Amino acid sequence: MLQINNYHLSYGKKKVLRGIDLVVNKGETLALVGESGAGKTSLGLSIGGLIGRESEPANQAKVQTQGQIIFQGKDILHLSAEELQELRWSKISFVFQNVSNTLNPVLTIWEQVSEPYSSHHLGTRRQAREQARIMLDKVAFPSAKINHYPHQLSGGELQRALIAMALINKPEVLILDEPTASLDPITRQELVQLLSRITKDCAVLLITHDLSVASALSKRTAVLYKGKILEEGPTDKVLQTPHHPYMRALLRSYPHMHSSKDIQSINLNLKEPAEGCVFFPRCTQALPICQTTAPPVLEFKLTVLSANAKEELDFFGQNGSSKVACHRGGIVPYLVVHRLSKSYGPEFSLREVSFMVFEGETVALVGQSGSGKSTIAKLIMGLEKPDQGNILYEEQKTPFPRSQEFLQKVQLIFQNPYDAVSPRLTIKEIIQEPLLIQKIGTQEEKNAKAIQALADVGLPTEDRFLHSYPSSLSGGELQRVAIARALILEPKLLIADEPTSALDALVQAKIIKLLMGLQEQRGLGMLFITHDIALARKIADRILVIQNGEIVEQGLAWEVTSNPKHPFTKQLLAAASVF
Amino acid sequence: MRKKKIITYLAALGFILILNFLLPRLLPGDPFMAIYGEEAALSLSEAAKEELRAKMNLDKSLIAQFKVYLLTLAKGDLGYSYALNQPVRTVISKVLPWTLLLVGSALILSTLIGLILGIESGWRRGTRADRWILLTVVGLSALPNFLIGILLLLFFAVQLGWFPLGGAVTPYSGFTGTAYLLDVFKHLFLPLLALTLAQVPRSYLLTRASVLGNLSYPYVRTAAAKGLKPLQIRYKHVGRNSLLPISASLGVSVGSALAGSLFIEIVFSYPGMGSLIHQAIAQRDYPLLQGILLVIALTVILANLATDILASKIDPRIRKE
Repeated sequence: MLQINNYHLSYGKKKVLRGIDLVVNKGETLALVGESGAGKTSLGLSIGGLIGRESEPANQAKVQTQGQIIFQGKDILHLSAEELQELRWSKISFVFQNVSNTLNPVLTIWEQVSEPYSSHHLGTRRQAREQARIMLDKVAFPSAKINHYPHQLSGGELQRALIAMALINKPEVLILDEPTASLDPITRQELVQLLSRITKDCAVLLITHDLSVASALSKRTAVLYKGKILEEGPTDKVLQTPHHPYMRALLRSYPHMHSSKDIQSINLNLKEPAEGCVFFPRCTQALPICQTTAPPVLEFKLTVLSANAKEELDFFGQNGSSKVACHRGGIVPYLVVHRLSKSYGPEFSLREVSFMVFEGETVALVGQSGSGKSTIAKLIMGLEKPDQGNILYEEQKTPFPRSQEFLQKVQLIFQNPYDAVSPRLTIKEIIQEPLLIQKIGTQEEKNAKAIQALADVGLPTEDRFLHSYPSSLSGGELQRVAIARALILEPKLLIADEPTSALDALVQAKIIKLLMGLQEQRGLGMLFITHDIALARKIADRILVIQNGEIVEQGLAWEVTSNPKHPFTKQLLAAASVF
Repeated sequence: MRKKKIITYLAALGFILILNFLLPRLLPGDPFMAIYGEEAALSLSEAAKEELRAKMNLDKSLIAQFKVYLLTLAKGDLGYSYALNQPVRTVISKVLPWTLLLVGSALILSTLIGLILGIESGWRRGTRADRWILLTVVGLSALPNFLIGILLLLFFAVQLGWFPLGGAVTPYSGFTGTAYLLDVFKHLFLPLLALTLAQVPRSYLLTRASVLGNLSYPYVRTAAAKGLKPLQIRYKHVGRNSLLPISASLGVSVGSALAGSLFIEIVFSYPGMGSLIHQAIAQRDYPLLQGILLVIALTVILANLATDILASKIDPRIRKE
């Protein structure tokens, strides 16, 4: 019904939209989500031919468009002013965001709602008024207020009037531009229900920054960032397991009742790249090519899968169901553990453990002591050799013993710091050791890095402390030293084996915040091994529950903790801290 | 809100009455002369002067004088012009209609022209048409209104002879009915044109600025999205909203138009208040001047009241209060 092909829009030198491809079919709602300034509204207005026309006569010359917006076989961008005037509202209408003065302040609601009907010659003024009354009734606008002026109405009432006005000429395409912004939650809920009921016959483009509205009203969602669609796919998948780092960041920053992890943001580098990927300045998994070439929009594919392919595809989204604009094909699965088995005699064995950890993702591995958690950590790091199965890092098989490069990018934090550090080295030597092994930096740089790493984990940075020995530190302090050592190489993936179980809650909170902050800034991926499911719920995106060497349940953190399937998970939850 | 407005108007009225009462009495010299004028001082006998002094309580306190002043005013007595040998009320009521006709039509015309020009020019902001209209109108506003009047008079009346040189009607013509109206219109045309031209910049500039402000409001986009004709968007939507500041400023415009009419009337020897003031000043006819001052002040107050009511009719947001 509505097809947008490679649509570009710029105001003078400022690029607003950069090659948009979208299709909206009859009876379908497509949600366009993104931050303010992404170009959502400009795209909506373009569809009504409202960019730089009547409302901006002097700026017309500055507006440049490219591409096509095809509606009923005609390109809207090339219609004459009269054809556009005819098209507007009778075929394509808008529900604008109810900011102040969206409606004319000196005309009554009745007048404004009926106006398009009579001015499009669908009937006399009297018939228009009658029609307006019917529409206003339909959207549950209070009939006593039909002759009121906009300033006399509440936000919800105005929004209802705007909806009635949009529908009065029975349009085929409806553009909802932030239809529920600035409404209280209860009114918003009512309006969302109303919209889903009465927009069934139209092709709807829903422009919103409110993910819950997108979820309630749309089947498909597209994510717009700086005028470029970064991801498009089925709404439920996009909002559950996004494939583009930007969409994941949007999702993480949006507090909703189905999230347990703390809200997180993303790099605030808003520099506009001249070429290459628009998201490059904020991306944590960028390649050199991202800086020079804009990525094509490609179908999403999980090229490497751990063992349970069908389940994984069901969970992450079927190949080809969504599209991602990313040179790396979306968020990279950093670590793929593929049917990993290991046995130590007849008492204990790890049986076909498979899972993935994506870039910038926290996966919590939760289970009792002795269930094989630490064994998995050792196998990943190459400290032990698996009996069977593979471990892939950045979609490549890992050699055994592990390469120097792997050991720089993947770091391990042990549960017991006394086992992890040499008692004969000073704190400074302990922290700088990885730099020495990896041959990074001059002595001065090493010193600076060591001091920064200590400051990051909240330890003193004076010389006296730097030159002390582990024996003079408490367990908590020493664990922080171990964490500082792990972070000094700026790893991309952290395997943390009960890193905070020896720490006080206050210190633990500090460390967790630090790790989450690093995740935000650098896209640090984490396999967080813990027996504390309450902690896992707050920090993890996904939770794996392990029992006797077998993963018995896995899923999104909130889902596993609020709706557990496996009896062992239920048991873990029942035993979790409450007070 | 209403109540506050009424109090404001009453206060303004009181202030004007006090001013009108005090001004002549504060003039240096004999207050009798200031109140009754040079003519009276010269022509009246001492006894008659004494009688007048006693009548106005000039020998008593200011408060007592004010009381008498108010009482005479209440009777509709504006005083007596000894220079013209007529009651001031009679003199003013003879010329007031002409001024009201001139100023009223000029205000209506200039507001309409200013509105249309302002809307069209604001709508096309930044284009060549807008710049030309703006330049012309600003240039016009730089000309003193009497100069406009003199130029019009020289060209259309003296040079081309299309219009009479002065007056409001052809004297002793005995015109009646349509012929009379036509005659009035012919005499009115040039002074009206001059005053209108002088008043257009004010309403034009205000409308244009207001249109520019209104164009950035989302309701304009809403109206365009509704597929309304550009004319509907411009006049029904933007125009109605741009009307508000104009209607609010109309009260002030009445004052400035009245002031403007003084010069125009003199240029065209139009028998209105302007000519009358000119005459009164030349003859130091103080009673007449005071009467005119009071009538003009009252007119401006009434005009302001009218525009307040008008503004609340146009803008529902004011009405609600």
